[in-house]
Amino acid sequence: MEQQIAELMAKVAALEKSGGMVGTVGIEAYYFWTTAFMVLIHAGFLSYEMGASRAKNVLATGIKNILAFAFIVPTFFFFGWWIYLAFPGGFTPSADGDAGLPWAMAMGPNLSDNATGVFWAAFTMFAATTASIFSGAVIERIRMSGFVLLAILLGSVLWILAAAWGWHPTGWLLTDWGFHDFGCAGIVHLVAGAFALGVLINLGPRIGKFNADGSANDLPAHNVPMILIGLMMIIVGFFGFLAACVIMVNGAQWTNIYGQPMTLSSVGFNTLMGFAGGVIGAWALTRDPFWMMSGGLGGIIAAAAGIDVWYPPLAFLIGFIGGASIKMVNDFVTKLRIDDAVGAVAVHGWCGIVSLVAVGLMATGYPNPGDAPPVTLTGQVVGLVVCFVVGFVPGYFVSFALKVVRLLRVPDEAQVVGLDLAKVPLRAYPEGGTSLAMQPAE
Amino acid sequence: MGSPITKWEGAAEYFTYADKPVILYTILGIAVAVTILAIVKAGRHESEAYEKLNGK
Repeated sequence: MEQQIAELMAKVAALEKSGGMVGTVGIEAYYFWTTAFMVLIHAGFLSYEMGASRAKNVLATGIKNILAFAFIVPTFFFFGWWIYLAFPGGFTPSADGDAGLPWAMAMGPNLSDNATGVFWAAFTMFAATTASIFSGAVIERIRMSGFVLLAILLGSVLWILAAAWGWHPTGWLLTDWGFHDFGCAGIVHLVAGAFALGVLINLGPRIGKFNADGSANDLPAHNVPMILIGLMMIIVGFFGFLAACVIMVNGAQWTNIYGQPMTLSSVGFNTLMGFAGGVIGAWALTRDPFWMMSGGLGGIIAAAAGIDVWYPPLAFLIGFIGGASIKMVNDFVTKLRIDDAVGAVAVHGWCGIVSLVAVGLMATGYPNPGDAPPVTLTGQVVGLVVCFVVGFVPGYFVSFALKVVRLLRVPDEAQVVGLDLAKVPLRAYPEGGTSLAMQPAE
Repeated sequence: MGSPITKWEGAAEYFTYADKPVILYTILGIAVAVTILAIVKAGRHESEAYEKLNGK
């Protein structure tokens, strides 16, 4: 009898171990595939930005976009992950960051750690997304070297510092203010939009964008279908992005990054509803397919901060407001003689603001784990201001420094002939079709 | 040579040179240097291309 009990206990122990391992590799697989989906965001941004450029700049624009992705990956390994783990308390690094140092034993293949690699990869894709948001705003006149430095600053330092503060279970924006930003509307989109705004002020407009009296000219995109397909790919990738914002717990309910329980179903409901609201809102006001698809993206971003809690028709309405307002915001930015080539400030910065405020107005009172205060409008406004400052201030001052040392803006002569002809050893359309001769004179 | 383990039982970190910190830091240092040099080279290439365009 005792022997049978011992055998039974051994079988239970083996089953428990096996079940635990199934859960562990299940979690690992989940985040791995969210990362794969997020690569689609970059395929989308590549198509979007190349389509939005004029034919004479299409390859230089593509190179810039690809390099943003490529340089974020190693730099996020060198110091980005460490920043996230080390700075939840403010500007003083904690010893928790040691696990993210590039020589830490967790930062490589390790049979006792199935989590770090896939989380690092997902966060790296968030970082590259942040840099790509900025990338579109500055096309056709920014120097590649200056751009790469700015992209690294944004993608591997600034947004992840904001994430340590406001998208971390012990970040001070959560523990002191109850800040809630499920889908990184502030942490990624507002930080990137504000950073782009700061850089655009110093970078200046493309040649020919503004007349002497301040009125703006249209510099038409060379391939609108490429833009639309690119934006749809970004939307697909955002399902991976938002799925990666959910924390999968072995044998328990899903939670968000703050530890509040939630369901993956909430992401299913509200991402689609926000997208639809954004498309319809932008279409209703503009009838323009460029703004319609940008509105879909804006709608998801506007809903993003509260995707885990919205009643789906409310996500639709918030998405509608985001999508309907982006062209007006972009027109306002243009009136300030700021040339945002793809409307990044409006789509990402403005919709990030809408999202954080929407949570502050309509999702107050949700309890937070531990001693953190519940969600409040005040906490959301504090988080909004922090995200704007973290993006705008370094964006403005570092780009100003690059401008002083002539690493920011491409010379006028190169802009006129086109960046591809000036420095790319390949022609985008060697057999014509979209000919340089078809470009409007500047 | 690069393997930090001789058997899989009980193995944890198993990436190349995990047990040789000097080599690990050297590889990391080279990777950082390559990243920085690539940016510097990009800046030079751009300046030369634009100067060529201006006929300088």
